[in-house]
Amino acid sequence: MIDVKKLWRKRRNAHLTQTLKYFSLMANSGLIVSLILLIIVGSIYYAKLLKALPENFPAVLILTVLFSFLLTKSAIRTLLKEGDLVFLLPVESGMKQYFSKSLSSAIASGSFITLFVFTLTWPIVQVFITDGWKMYVTFAFFLIAAKVFNLYVAWEERRLPYKSHQMNYKIMRFIVNFVYVYLLFNEAYVFLIAMFAIMYVLKNFVFGVFKKMHGYQWEMLLAEEQTLKMKGYRLVNYFTDVPALKQTVNKRPLLNMLGTFSFKKKNMMSALFMKTFIRSGDYLGLYIRLILIGFLFLYLIPAGWWQLAVVILFFQMLSLQLFTLYTQYRWNVIFNIYPIESNVKITAFMKWLRGLLLIQGLLYGVFYGLLTGDWLIALLMPAASLAYSLLRLPSMTKKHITLSS
Amino acid sequence: MKPILEVSDLTGGYLPNQPVIHNLNFSVKESEIVGLIGLNGAGKSTTIKHVLGLMEPMSGSSKILEQTFRDEPENYRSQFTYIPEMPILYEELTLWEHLELTAMAYGLEEQTFLTRVRPLLEEFRMDNKIKWFPNQFSKGMKQKVMILCALLVEPKLYIVDEPFVGLDPLGIQSFLEYMVTFKNSGAGILMSTHILSTAERYCDRFLIMHEGRLVLSGTLEELRERSGLTEATLDEIYLYVARGKVT
Repeated sequence: MIDVKKLWRKRRNAHLTQTLKYFSLMANSGLIVSLILLIIVGSIYYAKLLKALPENFPAVLILTVLFSFLLTKSAIRTLLKEGDLVFLLPVESGMKQYFSKSLSSAIASGSFITLFVFTLTWPIVQVFITDGWKMYVTFAFFLIAAKVFNLYVAWEERRLPYKSHQMNYKIMRFIVNFVYVYLLFNEAYVFLIAMFAIMYVLKNFVFGVFKKMHGYQWEMLLAEEQTLKMKGYRLVNYFTDVPALKQTVNKRPLLNMLGTFSFKKKNMMSALFMKTFIRSGDYLGLYIRLILIGFLFLYLIPAGWWQLAVVILFFQMLSLQLFTLYTQYRWNVIFNIYPIESNVKITAFMKWLRGLLLIQGLLYGVFYGLLTGDWLIALLMPAASLAYSLLRLPSMTKKHITLSS
Repeated sequence: MKPILEVSDLTGGYLPNQPVIHNLNFSVKESEIVGLIGLNGAGKSTTIKHVLGLMEPMSGSSKILEQTFRDEPENYRSQFTYIPEMPILYEELTLWEHLELTAMAYGLEEQTFLTRVRPLLEEFRMDNKIKWFPNQFSKGMKQKVMILCALLVEPKLYIVDEPFVGLDPLGIQSFLEYMVTFKNSGAGILMSTHILSTAERYCDRFLIMHEGRLVLSGTLEELRERSGLTEATLDEIYLYVARGKVT
């Protein structure tokens, strides 16, 4: 018989070690500096925003919606692996202890996140709702209590065999949470106690029943674990390369036009890169985000020639992130044996990347021109992207693609 | 018959001075199906990788229509298609796009592509799934996508690695029928498999590998003669070889 508690401990430790390792890699890549910068800039704007908010700002409603989502979400890391579907299935009855461990750790991290978000919103609460450390403690207590309740019942909810049924109960939890948080921020404690009674009934007589009716939904639990893991990896991937990152695919049918090329051999690679770009996980989102962050920098930093250096930095960031689109084909035999020479493939990739860089440069130029009226520098931005893609990109590509394949 | 694939004195492996395959000599001629047979780890996949031009030989050569991969990489590779043992698909591409991009990569005309693709899709009962993405496919369907891509190109040479695993019986039958048709119109086929009864029925010649060497080759008659097992089936000869009785 496997000691499932030991198994959980082993997996949790491995998970923590991995997280720490990735964190140190992220720190090396300048995360700390950017975090500090973000906190300073963020807090300045937060303070400004608070002052600028009108008297009748619907703080209670907005916070209620925010916390209702946060409380309903209830992600649970089970640390399951694909092999478990084969190897742990026989010990299903013994898995109770394993899952109760994963639930406890979800409660710990969930409570922490709730407290963290509440602390972030505390200045809003102070201005619009109430003040004083006693209130802080009271609100935090009630929010964490709700989080614990949600995680408990959300775990039972995961026993339901159909996603649509799970969704129905999730909606029900959202409504309960909404009422609960709304009452809390209106400091209606008597009603809150009544809510506790309702939640008790729900926990024992609605969600509690699932345990008797259904077993664990192994495949769904595994799928959820994979999704959460990939989310974490994607976050890390902004700072450092994560080889284990599997891209998820979104169909995005509206963008199909962009990936359509005329039926010629020379277009094959461009078609492949473009189709991958518009559908694969986060490349497109990354591109849009980089452009928007670029706008933000152009807006925040005083206008001048140095803005050209800023946009070149963003060209560099985009190129670095998009090289993985090519290297993900490294182990694909079919990709490797096409009757297309490898330097032709790489040239096609650079040409495709140049197109994206030019669009990026053009957008920066237009934004800068409209912002400052200095169209000379604005015009130099797309020119810089062209120069970058002709002068710098080839040697970078050589370094990142040729050497890695 | 003209040889399409000619492997001579091929030695190769993954670490210097540690060859995995030794002095292989064989050929695949026009209009023949050659079965590549051996235990797990006998060196079949390594041999195939050398033929594909994914590994460089330590000595000897693999030539397709008299050319090595080093001479003319693009030309060498446009002469064959490959069906891998494990289907490898682009997660971001639909079935139709897989077919289209393969046709483009191998330089087919659009009209040729369109006339070939419909009957293939119908034969393998995939014609109602052309908009599907790989994550919606079962293992067998993924294998079908690989097969469709390879058959679509109609090259001189097919390199097929264990095509039957995961494929439904109708799929296997359709695949074999296509192989026979292409063989009769002049193509050569190198097929690695463990399904010996099928190999016995469809292959014209056999290459039996053991521990990185070619220990027996020829038609079934020739194999019987050389192993001294008259009347034996391919299964029996293969087991005999696999137990190390032939050196």
